[in-house]
Amino acid sequence: MAPPAQSQRSPSPSQPSGKSEVSDLKSQLRQLAGSRAPGVDDSKRDLFKKVISYMTIGIDVSALFGEMVMCSATSDIVLKKMCYLYVGNYAKVNPDLALLTINFLQKDCQDQDPMIRGLALRSLCSLRVANLVEYLVGPLGLGLKDSNSYVRMVAVIGVLKLYHISASTCIDADFPVILKNLMITDSDTQVVANCLSALQEIWSAEASTSEEASREREGLLSKPIVYFLLNKIREFNEWAQCLVLELAAKYVPSDNNDIFDIMNLLEDRLQHANGAVVLATIKVFLHLTLSMTDVHQQVYERIKAPLLTLVSSGSPEQSYAVLSHLHLLVMRAPFIFSSDYKHFYCQYNEPSYVKKLKLEMLTAVANESNTYEIVTELCEYAANVDIPIARESIRAVGKIALQQYDVNAIVDRLLQFLEMEKDYVTAEALVLVKDLLRKYPQWSHDCIAVVGNISSKNVQEPKAKAALIWMLGEYSQDMQDAPYILEGLIESWDEEHSAEVRLHLLTAVMKCFFKRPPETQKALGAALAAGLADFHQDVHDRALFYYRLLQHNVSVAERVVNPPKQAVSVFADTQSSEIKDRIFDEFNSLSVVYQKPSYMFTDKEHRGPFEFSEELGNLSIAGESADNVVSAQRVEANDKDLLLSTSEKEEAKISTGNDSAYSAPMYDASSVLVTASQTLMEPAISNPTLPGQATQAILAIDDLLGLGIPAAPAPPPPPPQLKLHTRAVLDPATFQQKWRQLPVALSQEYSLSPQGIAALTAPQALLRHMQGHSIQCIASGGQSPNFKFFFFAQKAEEPSNYLVECIINSSSAKAQMKIKADDQSTSQAFSDIFQSALSKFGVP
Amino acid sequence: MAGAVSALFLLDIKGRVLVWRDYRGDVSATQAERFFTKLIEKEGDPESQDPVVYDNGVTYMFIQHSNVYLMTASRQNCNAASLLFFLHRVVDVFKHYFEELEEESLRDNFVVVYELLDEMMDFGYPQYTEAKILGEFIKTDAYRMEVAQRPPMAVTNAVSWRSEGIVYKKNEVFLDVVEKVNILVNSNGQIIRSDVVGALKMRTYLSGMPECKLGLNDRVLLEAQGRATKGKAIDLEDIKFHQCVRLARFENDRTISFIPPDGSFDLMTYRLSTQVKPLIWVEAQVERHSRSRVEIMVKARSQFKERSTATNVEIELPVPADASNPNVRTSMGSAAYAPESDALVWKIKSFPGGKEYMLRAEFRIPSITAEDGGPERKAPIRVKFEIPYFTVSGIQVRYLKIIEKSGYQALPWVRYITMAGEYELRLI
Repeated sequence: MAPPAQSQRSPSPSQPSGKSEVSDLKSQLRQLAGSRAPGVDDSKRDLFKKVISYMTIGIDVSALFGEMVMCSATSDIVLKKMCYLYVGNYAKVNPDLALLTINFLQKDCQDQDPMIRGLALRSLCSLRVANLVEYLVGPLGLGLKDSNSYVRMVAVIGVLKLYHISASTCIDADFPVILKNLMITDSDTQVVANCLSALQEIWSAEASTSEEASREREGLLSKPIVYFLLNKIREFNEWAQCLVLELAAKYVPSDNNDIFDIMNLLEDRLQHANGAVVLATIKVFLHLTLSMTDVHQQVYERIKAPLLTLVSSGSPEQSYAVLSHLHLLVMRAPFIFSSDYKHFYCQYNEPSYVKKLKLEMLTAVANESNTYEIVTELCEYAANVDIPIARESIRAVGKIALQQYDVNAIVDRLLQFLEMEKDYVTAEALVLVKDLLRKYPQWSHDCIAVVGNISSKNVQEPKAKAALIWMLGEYSQDMQDAPYILEGLIESWDEEHSAEVRLHLLTAVMKCFFKRPPETQKALGAALAAGLADFHQDVHDRALFYYRLLQHNVSVAERVVNPPKQAVSVFADTQSSEIKDRIFDEFNSLSVVYQKPSYMFTDKEHRGPFEFSEELGNLSIAGESADNVVSAQRVEANDKDLLLSTSEKEEAKISTGNDSAYSAPMYDASSVLVTASQTLMEPAISNPTLPGQATQAILAIDDLLGLGIPAAPAPPPPPPQLKLHTRAVLDPATFQQKWRQLPVALSQEYSLSPQGIAALTAPQALLRHMQGHSIQCIASGGQSPNFKFFFFAQKAEEPSNYLVECIINSSSAKAQMKIKADDQSTSQAFSDIFQSALSKFGVP
Repeated sequence: MAGAVSALFLLDIKGRVLVWRDYRGDVSATQAERFFTKLIEKEGDPESQDPVVYDNGVTYMFIQHSNVYLMTASRQNCNAASLLFFLHRVVDVFKHYFEELEEESLRDNFVVVYELLDEMMDFGYPQYTEAKILGEFIKTDAYRMEVAQRPPMAVTNAVSWRSEGIVYKKNEVFLDVVEKVNILVNSNGQIIRSDVVGALKMRTYLSGMPECKLGLNDRVLLEAQGRATKGKAIDLEDIKFHQCVRLARFENDRTISFIPPDGSFDLMTYRLSTQVKPLIWVEAQVERHSRSRVEIMVKARSQFKERSTATNVEIELPVPADASNPNVRTSMGSAAYAPESDALVWKIKSFPGGKEYMLRAEFRIPSITAEDGGPERKAPIRVKFEIPYFTVSGIQVRYLKIIEKSGYQALPWVRYITMAGEYELRLI
């Protein structure tokens, strides 16, 4: 059916101007335009095809606009289609010309042939020219009522297109209401599905400004609608099924029967040939059963087989997408795939993006029972396949070692890596052995014996070199040559490009000096001298610091630089559980692939339905956007996490519920001490033998590091019964959700002081001021005289939130507050804090 | 599907836009082209690049098919898996229309490409992607001299995958049961992993709206009917059906009933994770006689019943990258050195069950080896084969009934075949 290759093949990539061709075409089209000769349509077709080809390869044929429109007066559907294509392409750049086409498109919208009606309507709506909007309403209205489903299907999406060109026109014409009726009554499933897509988009966008729209949006998730669609699901095509399932996953079931009904209804979808449907179904199952622990586990069992099949059959891209999801699930329920680990063995010719994810899976599913097999398999990759994957697999072995209790077998393997005498293997293995020793110092004997045999000349990568040097310093008493190797390295100080390595070198030589002073003294002197002359400020400063310390008192210096170390129990997890929950909420989307919640990679206006909108999204956020606030807090939180190196498991024990790990209010001072000394080698001033001093030191560290000790003035003394968490964290979506759910606990009006009003000329100042009182701003907006702020705060000792909407009118000096609280009983106390904080605003 | 696609691109092997369809007007072709050309240049090996990439607010997802990339661009948080599936479906549809999807066929068919892209997706939401159904919408060249236009049938039809009024002179159904064996054997000769992926592939040439019913030797079904199984029944795991199969009915009484689409489609796929004995076993020994001579001795053994025969057996033996002057002798078949893949390919046309064949090959290698030469990439031995009239799982089609209201007699043809899938032996 494809036409034989025609002569208009793209002339040459060097892009001819095409001018002569275009004028040629122009005259030919003119000739044909008026002709009524038989067979003229065929010659027109050939010409049109030529025009389209030119257009596609980038030759500007917009000069033919008039001729093309003239020729389009035909009943030939193929010609019409090509003409629509042409018009759609050039209308946006030539809005004046586009006006020419409106006439014939409108006429075609009333053609006898439903195919032509549909196509014309689609082209009309796709013109995207704002001043033509008025011409769209009529044909769209007719299209929605058309007797042919193809036309209705096109019209429904047409409404959405209209909305994006001019929202007000679309709303004024009452199209959303018509779509809603159509969704429930139309006999054609694709029309219904398109209605659902369109309504989701329109109402989500409208929800921020109209109460009604947000109600309607919630209405899509109501039981009658969801049940109506689910009952019809078998009639939908596969993509529409995905759409309906996506909706069902957000449905909040009224009771357990509801849940089981839906699951029974959808059980067979897990057998659908299209993986997208299977994944969407899995999402529904997982989300519905979140509250029912037992059933949730059963769901995991049930979805296992379909997921594994999706991984092993189909395209690599499919495996990639599915593996990303598996990884997320395994992080939540490590046991589910622990006996199916063999499915994640890499095939020789799989693309490396799949292999990488499989390695991650293998690391994640490793437990006591399967570690041996998995590590054996990983060692196979280290020796065999391409280098990046080999490196990844060595790292995977290391990760498994760090998460297991029984590491005997793994340590042997790692040491074998060191003996393989391949540079990249040695490099990776060195870094791992270092981490391993930090966690399991008891293995030092076995490891050091092997590490000692490695010639530092064979280690070039900075990370590996740093690791080797760290071990030389840390275990210099066990390695006979340590001082001499270090000395050798110091001699070639100038050739060492990595500052990290030079820093490690300084510290290692210091440590070595305390253990074997006579042998190291010379090297130390050389290192300090080289360090002091170093151009890198950190290296310079550290050298200077050591130098002064040694000058001051050698034994103090030893206590500072080389105290006995405690093993690191768990290395920090870089992602908070809150973020992970967000990602899980967005199961079956890009969030899972990126391992980031969607607000981190989409703009506000492109957020999908139900994600993030309403007031928060649309207030013009003054200064920094809510996202920035959140990500900044997250970064802070991560930093904290790193410092504390507390494991999630431990936190789970301490704080119950699924609140964020970081809102865990009080940090145990002793854990700060311990972990600070573990993670930060240098500032570990703590000395367990001097308890008095130690506490002071902790405070000093805390202040330095900005950990939760309030540096800002604490909340005012009058209402002492309520303490607020100084660094409360709440993401916009949770805020929004809570704001919707909670009733208003208190609604008050408050008069601001004149100083306060004066200071309000810069609303940012208020945000900072309130932050000083442990009340965080999540969004703000408005212009003089009306300002609107959303604040939140958290109790210091429990994860209980206060949400405040505060509208300040600067001309009347009044502030209206609505307070919502998880714990209603304390809302008055919170209100007092809030008012007293507000009253201090602007007061010097 | 959460999130709509902004635009769909078809790009050539260098990442230049061949054709694109702008659905929502928020990603430009130049922006996408600049991003993508940079991406493939930087990577050198585009195969190693993740198929989902984020750049400057836009997510690009792409797949490659012969010398064409298909790519979506989106600013929303789309359903990643679903879109990648969708792209593969687009490939299927193009293949249906142009036989082969490649740069040349796209260039010859710009108009049809635009038409297809318009019908498969509207404003970023997937619509119909069944090639047969799309035929109703696609007018170019298919309906040159159409007199009266029929309204598109499928859309008004209860069965969205089949049009009414199909007529064949001879009513026939071809059913191929294809099983692929995936196996991974480690260097100690242990099977680390094995599974079987099966598919029932159908080609239907049937008039009207035929009702089909398929009976398999499914253990669950047979036991439910109280028949003696006699070890012939099989346990199918994780069955997936084409959308035409009435899933509810299968859930109820394990009957596979359906109105088939016209033409070829995969009726059902299944997976078995039971341990499979390697159907073809290969042992290899490598001897380095001197610094410059390597000898490989290979034994291949068929481990299935004598009445079956494997055909088109291809054993790919990895050899050192710098080997030269091959000297090969085989007891059966022929072997050719394929330096481009650093392998010796041993082909045996026909390999009956219970037989053993040998190969002996000698290579010269440079006596001076580079000290810091890259790491040896050790590839596994890979085997390809087909065994007709045989299935590993023992699946059997007990009947295939076709009932149409006009009462014609249709001929069902059933074939069985087992093939090697990912068949890897890490033996050298």
